[in-house]
Amino acid sequence: MVPTPYYVALSALLLTIGAMGVLTRRSAIMVFLSVELMLNAANLAIVAYARQWSATGVEQALSGQAAVFIILAIAAAEVAVGLGILVAIFRNRVSTDVDELSEVRS
Amino acid sequence: MIGFIVLAVVMLAGAVGVVTLRQPVHAALSLVVTLLALAVTYVTLQAHFLAVIQVIVYAGAIMVLFLFVIMLLNVEGQAPPPHLRWLPPLAFATALLVAAGIAVTAFVDRAPLPAAARVSALQGGSAEQVGTLLFSHYVLAFQLVGVLLLAGIVGAVSLAQRGSRGDASGARSEGASDTRELSHG
Repeated sequence: MVPTPYYVALSALLLTIGAMGVLTRRSAIMVFLSVELMLNAANLAIVAYARQWSATGVEQALSGQAAVFIILAIAAAEVAVGLGILVAIFRNRVSTDVDELSEVRS
Repeated sequence: MIGFIVLAVVMLAGAVGVVTLRQPVHAALSLVVTLLALAVTYVTLQAHFLAVIQVIVYAGAIMVLFLFVIMLLNVEGQAPPPHLRWLPPLAFATALLVAAGIAVTAFVDRAPLPAAARVSALQGGSAEQVGTLLFSHYVLAFQLVGVLLLAGIVGAVSLAQRGSRGDASGARSEGASDTRELSHG
């Protein structure tokens, strides 16, 4: 059985690679893909800790997996709304470059 | 351990592909590789139901939606602007530093965790186990997620239909994908 810290280290690597993508990519779709990567890294850590705590009882052990299930559903809703916003932005101004989308800044 | 290393290498290769590949379609397919490797990792972590959901919802529905929008918008890969050439190496160094910090913390500060000797309590993380817990202990969160998904569908459709009336076909097919996600999630 692989110890939990290895999974957490892998999750940390995935999270930071995703954060790097958020910081360096310019297309809004690529930023979005990197955010998905970060969400999945967090899910991996939660599932790994759920296995780690499984010795304390079924309810505690499966709580982590139930949380990941709910996060998956939230990610689906987030992707639907986010891609809808992207399509709307692209219709108004034929570009999804995040450097050019700065109207909110006064 | 060997299986974990193989999975980790595949997963990290896919993740690096997501942030480095120029073409958005290639990056999205690279993310699919990472998500599938993650599903296999869930199986090794006794979360069989989550592995199936990961393949159906994430690698299936969500990535189809992504590829659909990428091809609809026809986004091209671009080179970074000249005045931001210093950003990628700096971001890479920061990311490596943060990852090392989290990993060192995970390896060093492990005192409060109990021994993971009896994994049998998870019982494979079957749909029955997770579903029973979801519908008894976490039923409020489950309901709220259902409301959130409904709001997401309505919001996505209204966002896609605002603007030009002539391009309603894209909005319609996106609504169809959302409904599929709801039935899977």
